[in-house]
Amino acid sequence: MAVGTHGESYMRAPTGSGEPASADRPSPLRPSAPADRDGDGPDLDGLAQVAHKIRDAIESVIEGKPDVVRLALTVLLAEGHLLIEDVPGVGKTMLAKALARSVDCSVRRVQFTPDLLPSDITGVSAYNQELREFEFKPGPVFANIVVGDEINRASPKTQSALLECMEERQVTVDGVTYPLERPFMVISTQNPVEMEGTYPLPEAQRDRFTARISMGYPSPAAELEMLDTHGQSSPLDRLTPVADAADVRALIEVVRRQHVSPAVRQYAIDLVTATRNHPDLRLGASPRATLHLVRAARAYAALDDRDYVLPDDIQDLAVPVLAHRLLPTAEAQVERRRPEHVVTELVNRLPVPSSGK
Amino acid sequence: MRLRMTIMAALAALAGSVALYPLFSGRTWFWSGLGAVAVVAAAGLATRHFRWPAVFGAVGGLAALHLYLTARFTASEAFLGVVPTPESLRRLGELTREGWDAANRYAAPVPPVPGILLLAVGGIGLVAVLVDLLAVRLRRAAPAGLPLLAMYSVPAAVREDSVSWVAFGVGALGYLALLAADNHEQVGGWGHLVFRSADAPARPDTGVMAAAGRRIGVAAVAVAVLIPAVTPGIHSRGMFGMGSGGGRGGTQTVTTPDPLVSLKRELTRQDDLLVLRYRSNDTDRPDYLRLYSLDRFDGDRWTYSSLQSTARDRLSDRRLPDPPGLSSVPARQVTTRITVQRQVRDMSFLPVPYAPSRVSIEGDWRVHAPSLMIYSLRDSAGGRSYTVTSIRARPTASQLRLAGRTPTELYNRYTFVPERIPREVRRLAHEVTAGAATAYDQAVMLQRWFTQTGGFQYDLTAQPPQRGSDLVDFLINNKRGYCEQFAASMALLARILGIPARVAMGYTPGTQVTPGVWEVRTRDAHAWPELYFEGAGWVRFEPTPSGAAGQGTAATPDYSEPTVSSSSASTQEEESGPTETSPEASASASPSATAQRQDDLGAQAGTGGERSGDGAPVGWIIGVLLALLLLAAPMAARHVTRRLRWAGVTSRSGGAPSDPGEAAHAAWREMRADALDHGLEWRPSDTPRAAARRLGELLELDAPASQALGRIAHAEELARYAPSRPQTPPETLRADVRTVREAIAASVGRRARLRARLLPASTMGSVGSVTRAVGGRLADAASRVEAAFRRLPSRRAR
Repeated sequence: MAVGTHGESYMRAPTGSGEPASADRPSPLRPSAPADRDGDGPDLDGLAQVAHKIRDAIESVIEGKPDVVRLALTVLLAEGHLLIEDVPGVGKTMLAKALARSVDCSVRRVQFTPDLLPSDITGVSAYNQELREFEFKPGPVFANIVVGDEINRASPKTQSALLECMEERQVTVDGVTYPLERPFMVISTQNPVEMEGTYPLPEAQRDRFTARISMGYPSPAAELEMLDTHGQSSPLDRLTPVADAADVRALIEVVRRQHVSPAVRQYAIDLVTATRNHPDLRLGASPRATLHLVRAARAYAALDDRDYVLPDDIQDLAVPVLAHRLLPTAEAQVERRRPEHVVTELVNRLPVPSSGK
Repeated sequence: MRLRMTIMAALAALAGSVALYPLFSGRTWFWSGLGAVAVVAAAGLATRHFRWPAVFGAVGGLAALHLYLTARFTASEAFLGVVPTPESLRRLGELTREGWDAANRYAAPVPPVPGILLLAVGGIGLVAVLVDLLAVRLRRAAPAGLPLLAMYSVPAAVREDSVSWVAFGVGALGYLALLAADNHEQVGGWGHLVFRSADAPARPDTGVMAAAGRRIGVAAVAVAVLIPAVTPGIHSRGMFGMGSGGGRGGTQTVTTPDPLVSLKRELTRQDDLLVLRYRSNDTDRPDYLRLYSLDRFDGDRWTYSSLQSTARDRLSDRRLPDPPGLSSVPARQVTTRITVQRQVRDMSFLPVPYAPSRVSIEGDWRVHAPSLMIYSLRDSAGGRSYTVTSIRARPTASQLRLAGRTPTELYNRYTFVPERIPREVRRLAHEVTAGAATAYDQAVMLQRWFTQTGGFQYDLTAQPPQRGSDLVDFLINNKRGYCEQFAASMALLARILGIPARVAMGYTPGTQVTPGVWEVRTRDAHAWPELYFEGAGWVRFEPTPSGAAGQGTAATPDYSEPTVSSSSASTQEEESGPTETSPEASASASPSATAQRQDDLGAQAGTGGERSGDGAPVGWIIGVLLALLLLAAPMAARHVTRRLRWAGVTSRSGGAPSDPGEAAHAAWREMRADALDHGLEWRPSDTPRAAARRLGELLELDAPASQALGRIAHAEELARYAPSRPQTPPETLRADVRTVREAIAASVGRRARLRARLLPASTMGSVGSVTRAVGGRLADAASRVEAAFRRLPSRRAR
């Protein structure tokens, strides 16, 4: 089969609806990024500007949830994937769509249902009658931002189809591997597993999400505000992109160069190690979790206009980044000790490294 | 298994019996006691082996003890050397009686005569039976301490100097080991613990609990041993020990420590406390108030022979025996109303003017007929008022010079001089009194030699004479001392010359405050010799220099004043004069002089609560200084650390390129210490900004303070985690730290502020960790000892 070459061509022309519309739009990042490879001050300032714009854009849709928005942005800048878990109707999809729409890049949305097949996600090789050969029709994962709605309603088989894309940023169909474009981010929403008609995500897949956040109900004031705005028109419609994929790539580069002192690294390792030894946990956090934690902390610090990571960042991110990867023991489950509590307890207990050396 | 407990109980009883060592001379009693304990333990094991009821356990133990005593003491009367027969029983009874009598007769340490030994071994065995019954049979290890304590209290009650701390420590550790073994077994008896993990040990892990217990135990014993040793004022000083339980009306042996031993003890008291106040109808200066009469000289010290006290000796407001020897000399009756201060403790001898003929006082007071000492076995004179009618002899020099021949018994008793008094002392006595025609002249010359011609110097810093050689040294070489040396020496020299002599201790008349009312203070404590002259009885002499350069309120009696033996005429003249007023007496000492000399009858007359140990003023000053130093230590440590921290930063920043990171760390640590000092919580899991936020919220700081706090936190954050270095100069940080400290101090309560100043928690924490480390090491040592102990019985068991 000679699908590969054709696949390549498809790859270069993403089918997503969000092909950068204004590629030459002036960006605060682009002029300075190549020049300042060694000093990250200007980059950081640029990042701050762009990031704040994105944040403002999202917050115009999702009101009264600055923490959630910040976490979502953090995951984007950390090149991670985001899992939003909450009851229906609190704005999970809205957040995902707002994030996707405020960045001018290709966005695809997949509604997960029990009968969804893996090929519905990755794409299929179809026989082209005219060319008389198979050609690869890319699935919805071939986008910068993939919104997987209600991911836990799909069968585990379909869920697993996302595995490779998420971690390795490539898709293999019929033995041919197609790399995905950067940035690539999966934003999934899911209902709590206790709800009807859901398949809990396998541990392996959960581990691939950088962070899991939950929206929570809006405050009464925010809800009132929402009633007013949503009454007239959907705020999503008014949302215009404030950055494009190239901006986001530059931002990611900046984030990668954030300084993490050895003390903070040690702190992250201590924290993760502590989950592995905790009596309430059957499964602790993986080394990938450490990686994700530090990466997210870099982005988190950058969003705070800092070029160095603090233990505070680690502490703030510990629950969203670690909790969904942990498996409580049967006793802990019976006693309703949730992994979130365990992580919080560890954060409150572990001494913060005091020396910079 | 009860074997271990049995052995531990036996060991505890044995360890407790070590405390009896001051009561006996020799070591036989201990080995016999060991045998008794072993026999009792074996009996206990046997009864438990056959699962007899607890009552039989005790009975079996007693029976075994009886067998042991029979075999040990009356083997010849017993059948086969072991089985009791009527004869052996009778012999045991006899021995018990003998032991009882011997215990009454001898002061501790008593020689190991069979009777005493029987009592001791029987007692130890009885304690062993009780401990075995309680700890092993009834599984109540804690109450088993009571019989052990009873055993311990015997020497504590009998001996003045109490039991040494080593013996106490051995006993206490034995008891603790018993408790530990008992609890170890009880915890073990609960069976398996439910463990989460599969690899649970078969027995519950008692290590942690045991370690804690050992720590507490060792700490308690250490405190019990150390605290009394370092605390001034706690000194065991029982006036009497009761030789043995007194049967009603039976003879009781009153053993007292010889008062001269403690003469030096309160010599240097700074405070001159009031001991007693009295009103006397004596027309002259009243006579000395006597507490003790020391009639025995053993070559080292003067003591009094043990008092044989019976109910017949009770005062009960009757006329006392006549004073010995007083027959031909004019005498007058003097009535003295004495009130002893309430604070005076342990004054079980009454200060009375010699020679008392009638004493009216409440309580069980007795008189010792030969010496006319008034004493009590259980009451103290503190706070009591009593009236003494006494006969004051008024001899003249000529009467004394013409004194008749001393009765032989009295002569033999009071002129005894031990063999080992060196020849030069004997020669000295004769040299000093060369040319004297009569005993009285000899006495006068001795007195003059001591007070005037001998070149003696009154010196309170001299060591109290402990041995005969000290007295010899005083007489021949250094010639410096206080009333104790003077009195003891003169009495000794008088005895060498064949004049019956003894040493009296008590008080000088003190100072007259209002006409007829006198006050006696601790400094008026005194010792003086009494010499016997037939016809006049016991006559006081005063070899101690009086006045400003000597014993302040001492007075030389008139009858002893004639300066040379030939001046019989002059003494005749004084015959009619008042006896007790002398020039020296009126020259009562200046305060500064008296301040230096106090004698030490305060041993028991010293007003009670304030009694201190040796070398009072210097010791007190040093103690107070030490205490202050200790109190100030945390404060000082805090200042030093603060200074060091900043010094490290500023010195580096002075010349060489400064490291702002160091300054930030210093500022942060300093602020942390300040927060800790003021009792604020500091969590190790707090990052700098979290800590700053929490502090700010907690204290509701004002704007400048919270800005300063923020600057410090930011600098620390940068110094710790950022690639760039903080820009805040050390001076700013230092000022910021001060601002924050003041803000913290302003927002906490006064008590917290005071504590931050006096006992800064940041330094106390390090002290605490040090003490914990030391305690841990001690506990380790204890556990090793315990482990050794444990190995011991288990090996024996096999």
